[in-house]
Amino acid sequence: MRMSTPTRTPKVLAIDAGGTMCDTFVIDADGEFVVGKAQTTPEDEANGFARSAADALRYWDMNVAEAFPTLVSGVYSGTAMLNRLLSRKGGRVGLLVTAGQEDYLLLERGIQTYLGYSYSDRLHVQTHVHNVPLVPRDRIHGIPERIDLFGKVAIPLYEDETRAAVERLVDDAVDAICVCLLHSYRNPAHERAVKRIAVEIMRARGVDVPIYLSSDLYPVRGDFARLNTVMIEAYAAAPSRGQMENVQASCEANGAHFDLRVMASHGGTISTKARELARTLASGPIGGVVGARHLGQLLGLKNIVCTDIGGTSFDLALITEGTYQIRSNPEIARFVLALPQVQVDSIGAGTGSFVRVNPTSNRIELGPDSAGANIGMCYLEGGIDTPSVTDCHIVLGYLDPNYFLGAEITLSRARAIEVVESRIARPLGLDVYQAAEGVIEILEDSLRNQVYSTIVGRGYSPRNFVCMSYGGGGPVHAAGYTRNLGFDDVLIPTWAAGFSAYGCSCADFEYRYDHSVAFPVSADLPDEQKQGLIARVNEQAEALKEKVRAEFRSNDVAEDQVQFELLFRVQYAGQLNDLEVGTGKSHLDDFSDIEAVIADFEDLYAKVYSLAARSPELGFLITTLVVAGRSDVEKPILPTRPCVGEIPSADARKGEREVYWRGEFLTAEIWNMEKIVPGNVIRGLAIIEAPSTTVVVPPDSLVELDEHMILHLRLRAASSGAKE
Amino acid sequence: MTTSYPDRQIEDLIDGKLPFSEIHKMLSSFKDPARFDQYVAIMQGRVPWEDTILLPYGVHLFIVQRPDGQRVVKCDCGHEFGDYRTNWKESALVKVRDSEASLLELYQTMTHCDPEWMELREFFCPGCVALLEVEALPPGYPLVFDFLPDLETFYRDWLGRELPH
Repeated sequence: MRMSTPTRTPKVLAIDAGGTMCDTFVIDADGEFVVGKAQTTPEDEANGFARSAADALRYWDMNVAEAFPTLVSGVYSGTAMLNRLLSRKGGRVGLLVTAGQEDYLLLERGIQTYLGYSYSDRLHVQTHVHNVPLVPRDRIHGIPERIDLFGKVAIPLYEDETRAAVERLVDDAVDAICVCLLHSYRNPAHERAVKRIAVEIMRARGVDVPIYLSSDLYPVRGDFARLNTVMIEAYAAAPSRGQMENVQASCEANGAHFDLRVMASHGGTISTKARELARTLASGPIGGVVGARHLGQLLGLKNIVCTDIGGTSFDLALITEGTYQIRSNPEIARFVLALPQVQVDSIGAGTGSFVRVNPTSNRIELGPDSAGANIGMCYLEGGIDTPSVTDCHIVLGYLDPNYFLGAEITLSRARAIEVVESRIARPLGLDVYQAAEGVIEILEDSLRNQVYSTIVGRGYSPRNFVCMSYGGGGPVHAAGYTRNLGFDDVLIPTWAAGFSAYGCSCADFEYRYDHSVAFPVSADLPDEQKQGLIARVNEQAEALKEKVRAEFRSNDVAEDQVQFELLFRVQYAGQLNDLEVGTGKSHLDDFSDIEAVIADFEDLYAKVYSLAARSPELGFLITTLVVAGRSDVEKPILPTRPCVGEIPSADARKGEREVYWRGEFLTAEIWNMEKIVPGNVIRGLAIIEAPSTTVVVPPDSLVELDEHMILHLRLRAASSGAKE
Repeated sequence: MTTSYPDRQIEDLIDGKLPFSEIHKMLSSFKDPARFDQYVAIMQGRVPWEDTILLPYGVHLFIVQRPDGQRVVKCDCGHEFGDYRTNWKESALVKVRDSEASLLELYQTMTHCDPEWMELREFFCPGCVALLEVEALPPGYPLVFDFLPDLETFYRDWLGRELPH
């Protein structure tokens, strides 16, 4: 993807190092951008990234050494840490837990034996399997002690047993010790005492290994998720720090002056020096959501449905009133974690999803597994033995087999037709085109149901939303999965394929700390209790702010450049599910601030569940205090170009192709996305091709490119604006 | 499109050499209709005798068709237990663990059953002394006849062919 003007001042760099490809997104001072791609190099990420950046800058006739000195911001999102975790190649960790809890990793709370499974696999117990523990049982020691849920000491810490356990871990030559004791988020005294004892012993024995306390890193309720998170911090995150520093060093070697930041699960970016690096693990699909929010702010759109179709999954997120929801117990790589994560729902349906006919029911089934980087059977070198959705695209003529990834890869249409015919059409008694179209309908129906139920399930209507479609496969199906839902508008950024990397570059420099509390709130609290509550909240918030300040200090960001926001997670007393509400303030002034929080919580609860489900009779419980600190960073600006007329230039038209559409072959006009300019309108049936994405415009629809290089998809009849 | 697997994969499955990720895939996929015949063919190739296997019957055990027309339970070592309609356990070697001492050979203290209430009966092949089956029953309970298959119906209605004679 390329847009050209003579002189360039690259400002922002974003790197998305995926499992197979490393994408680089570079934006200049005018908001124009280039996207580069290179094969990932897992053993040395700095290498793959450097080649990917060079690939992007090539479009501007620049090299890395010319471009890097003018960059003011760089964001990295990679899978190195995830790979380390999945391949179990992490550190040699020892665990100290409350006596009686030593079998945490063998039991896995049951739930981890089937996390990430399809519905039927969750039902069938013979598919459940325990993960290989990150820490073997003989390096997990129990320490007699007990703190109850109110934070009171029920059994004092047994110091002799603690010493013996630490001695054994030191004998075992561990390179990190994690401590996770019950209810330490309420009272960290025992964990701190364990650390003091461990430090004494290690000093006496002349060893020095880092000690990770759960009360220090992730002081949140839920001992198993807390243990997992602390353990992964020591096992996978700390050893990956070096890799991120290599990327930083490689930037500096090319003259860059910025501090590389890493995308984190809470939707902000953090420094590679951050204490809590594990949260960069769960940042996969959220880049696009952050990008959509940023784009929404620039365009004045408050309610956005973010839809991202990649090769393996469909990721869906809602932005309402300009914010996304945060979930507090994400699951990643079959671990339950205690981290804040931008709420994204994924279903296993993408363009690479396998298509099969179930011999029992004689119905088409999609996924959940997929061809991934091997595309489908039409890609002869891929060695795949099951047709995928992409094979159906090729059969129908949606995709040009000679222009896949900008003609980097050639696909075989004959092979696609042959396998869709023999594996899908014949068993169902259909012709090959009907069968391929049936597959696309099933996919789009299931995506549309997912979009609809997510919006309606949160108490909204699609009419309040615009839909943003991105990812390599989003624009192919956007018309299909938004049909008849009545969205206000459907937006397809022309940089859809690099949208995740773009999103990373839009993220704030933001740290966020959560702390579990249990503050009951009701309207009839006596005044002195109200005062006491305000004081306690402000006191705990101050401790969290100090952590945030410390993080920013390590990156030389002055305190007056940091804006703090205090957020709360609140639930009705006696219920189990909390919701997060912001205050827009950095501390509480008086009880009216709490009342405002409660009112916002009730509004949100009414939207998420229903008005009638609200249950304020027993009062409210503040379960978690959250402090977020943000510092301004350079973000991409939106390009604005003059609109020039509806008719695209002649050289934008690539030709025409026969496309099977609703039972017959129609002639579709084929357009080159790079040659379309703002103001151009393209009417269906048309296909707009870019190297890494394709937009399908149905016969009854049109797309218009606006001055910000965003395509708007609408029904033809309603050319005045609103869709349907 | 029907699912099928190469013989090699079924052999690895039998030998416990498949990684769980592969087993999981097989468990979650559509059934492979040819599996019974494929499995029997593999087992037929592994046993040192010629009689036709009619039905795999347990670990080491098969119901086979003898040339004289009899259908008997046969161990993979070649030992025959007699007609499949009588319980093969009656002619197996048996070791009964009905005392604390004998149970402690297998279990840690306090983890075994109360021999007053339950005993373990281990059945071995008189030919090769392979452990074939273990019963856990109250003392005095008769031998359990685990499995009396209706071979004719199975062949006719499920496999769609007549039982070989």
